[in-house]
Amino acid sequence: MTDPAGVGPAEPSPAQPGSDFEDLYENAPCGYLVTSADGRITSVNTTFTRMIGHPPHELLGRNFQALLTVGSQLFHETRYVPTLRLRGRVDEIVLSLQCADGTNLHTMINAIQNGVSGEVRLAVFDSTARRDYERELLEARRAAETSEAQVRILQQASTAFTLADTESALTAALAENVREAFSSSFTAILLFDEAGVLQLATGSHPLLEYIHAGWDTPSTDAVRLNQVVIVPNLDEAQKMYPHLVPVYHANQLQTAIASPLTDKGKPVGVISSFFRRERNFDPELLELLGTLTQQASHVLARIRLQGQLARMALHDQLTGLANRQLLQVRLNQAIAAAERSGRPLAVVFLDLDGFKVVNDNCGHAIGDSVLSQVADRLRTSVRAADTIGRYGGDEFVVICEDTDADAVSHVTDRILASVREPLEGVPDEYPVSASIGVALLVPDAGSAVTTDGILGLADAAMYQSKNAGKDRVTVVVV
Amino acid sequence: MSTDQLSHVRARNNVTVSGNPSGRPIVFAHGFGCSSEMWHAVAPRFEDEHCVVRFDHVGAGRSDLSAYDKGKYDSLHGYADDVLEILDDLDLTDAVFVGHSVSAMIGVLAATKNPARFGALILVGPSPRYINADGYVGGFERADIDALLDSLDANYLGWSASMAPLIMGNSSQPELGEMLTESFCSIDPTIARHFARVTFLSDNRHDLPLVTTPTLVLQSQQDIIAPLEVGQFVHESIPGSVLVVLDATGHCPNLSAPDELTAEIQAFLR
Repeated sequence: MTDPAGVGPAEPSPAQPGSDFEDLYENAPCGYLVTSADGRITSVNTTFTRMIGHPPHELLGRNFQALLTVGSQLFHETRYVPTLRLRGRVDEIVLSLQCADGTNLHTMINAIQNGVSGEVRLAVFDSTARRDYERELLEARRAAETSEAQVRILQQASTAFTLADTESALTAALAENVREAFSSSFTAILLFDEAGVLQLATGSHPLLEYIHAGWDTPSTDAVRLNQVVIVPNLDEAQKMYPHLVPVYHANQLQTAIASPLTDKGKPVGVISSFFRRERNFDPELLELLGTLTQQASHVLARIRLQGQLARMALHDQLTGLANRQLLQVRLNQAIAAAERSGRPLAVVFLDLDGFKVVNDNCGHAIGDSVLSQVADRLRTSVRAADTIGRYGGDEFVVICEDTDADAVSHVTDRILASVREPLEGVPDEYPVSASIGVALLVPDAGSAVTTDGILGLADAAMYQSKNAGKDRVTVVVV
Repeated sequence: MSTDQLSHVRARNNVTVSGNPSGRPIVFAHGFGCSSEMWHAVAPRFEDEHCVVRFDHVGAGRSDLSAYDKGKYDSLHGYADDVLEILDDLDLTDAVFVGHSVSAMIGVLAATKNPARFGALILVGPSPRYINADGYVGGFERADIDALLDSLDANYLGWSASMAPLIMGNSSQPELGEMLTESFCSIDPTIARHFARVTFLSDNRHDLPLVTTPTLVLQSQQDIIAPLEVGQFVHESIPGSVLVVLDATGHCPNLSAPDELTAEIQAFLR
């Protein structure tokens, strides 16, 4: 079938004699269409047929939307149509047309809808040049935005990490930045405690109770394998963690990613993010996660080292007990508390009997071992709230708050009995026991005791025990 | 719940209540690309009989843009939680939830989370997944969705962004002119990009069988966003649901065929 109007590729369609208006319409410098209210094309000018490469008979009766690329159809239906209906017109909308030759034509469209008939009139401008330019701008802008967002997160994270002086401040900063970078529904950080159990440090972890029940999860696998674990969707979750599927459903989870935190290459914890829709992670985002976890891991190691140093400064390195400095502080606090509350306070001063003989005959290594063993026995002999310290050499101090004569005698009896037990590495001919002095502070109005004063009294009582034959307790009331 | 929290939810989602305060509540929710204005030709027709609730999703219309949280709104569950908060806030029960487009799925998620608030679900052009998968026809490929994102950017970048607040001075339709001064279908471009991803890349097929609320699926002819197969899939996946194929064409029968849409909703509710 031939069409008299034709789609002459180059030459303008012949103007009808005496019909300037028609020529103006047909050969206007923009495409021109009319559609019915439901979008069917009822009229189209020659310029438009040339733009799109279809003759008029292939266009009339067709739905205008069907001429668009799929991306433009989506935009057209969700944005253009509602706006046109509500506002009566749309201006400078960017839509791409599918041409007869398979290429796409980028256009800018103005449209007006007749309020009565619903008829829509559209002017279509070829905006290829502009579109190409905008496209470049757009791509540049997207790239800039992506890297800007990543740089911004890196910067704010670095600042927060530098300022963090506690584990909780650090983990909170890491979780916050990862959540921002990933737009996750949940982000949580778990750290191993001293018993090797993963404990929640920050955030909310939908699988925590299952981790504690010993189930395999993305988080525990990240730690076990010491690598990033990604569970991209429910199907994979079904394959990798079938036992977790009901938990996934209950929490509406679809995607998970878990990344270990390490110290000298060894996992010390894990950061996990969960998503309530299927997510893909581009390489830049994963790289950002890697950088953030690496930085945070370094800072975590630093914070832990500082904590360790602080502990060492206040603790005896051999026995791990409080050192003299810490004992003084604790005793000050205990005296103040006793005077405030009026409750009794017992200070136990202990010196080993027979230690010098062991040290001289068995060597310093055995001597050190005896001190460590005695320290362990003290730990099991006292009550949880008591403070034990190594005062120096073979002298130990136990601070027992809220403790009267009767209560402290139970503690000292247990200590005497436990120290008397044979010690590992020490021959039976070198027996070790404890001479103990107790200063019992029973506060009343007007009594003022100093730390040194009470320690001196306990020390003197200890010497009374030594002089009276060792392996016994002497109590003085202050 | 304190009054402060009540007003917080209402302000955040620009919640409006009209019609018959003692009537059965009916909540209208808009889809991607527009705002509660989508319902301007339908919602008033329910005001005699119903307590009519309209609202804007965060990012659209006159919602509070500062309430936008990328993590929360990275899935439809964030929007569903807002719907439940609105129902709690107004203390609505036996509510009819009318969700257009993506809000149909938002309604499904909300109604499965707390069925006690819902009396009926009306799903207008629903789709639980837009991207084709093994044995499932969603209508689109991933590249199509990327093209939509391109299209969104092209329309918000540079010169075209400045057209948004243009107001039509139409003296023959003064009421329309007045309504339009509020600006049309306004959506925040950055949020719209994210909402487009969440809308078109979500897969909530497995949530459909969990619906226990009486459900009406309304499906237009030639709806490129939600083709007939998808409406059929939704209908077959929701136990006891009713599917009605409208004479209307296109994805927005609430604008193109308000009479038919209203009549079908009313017929279902009787």
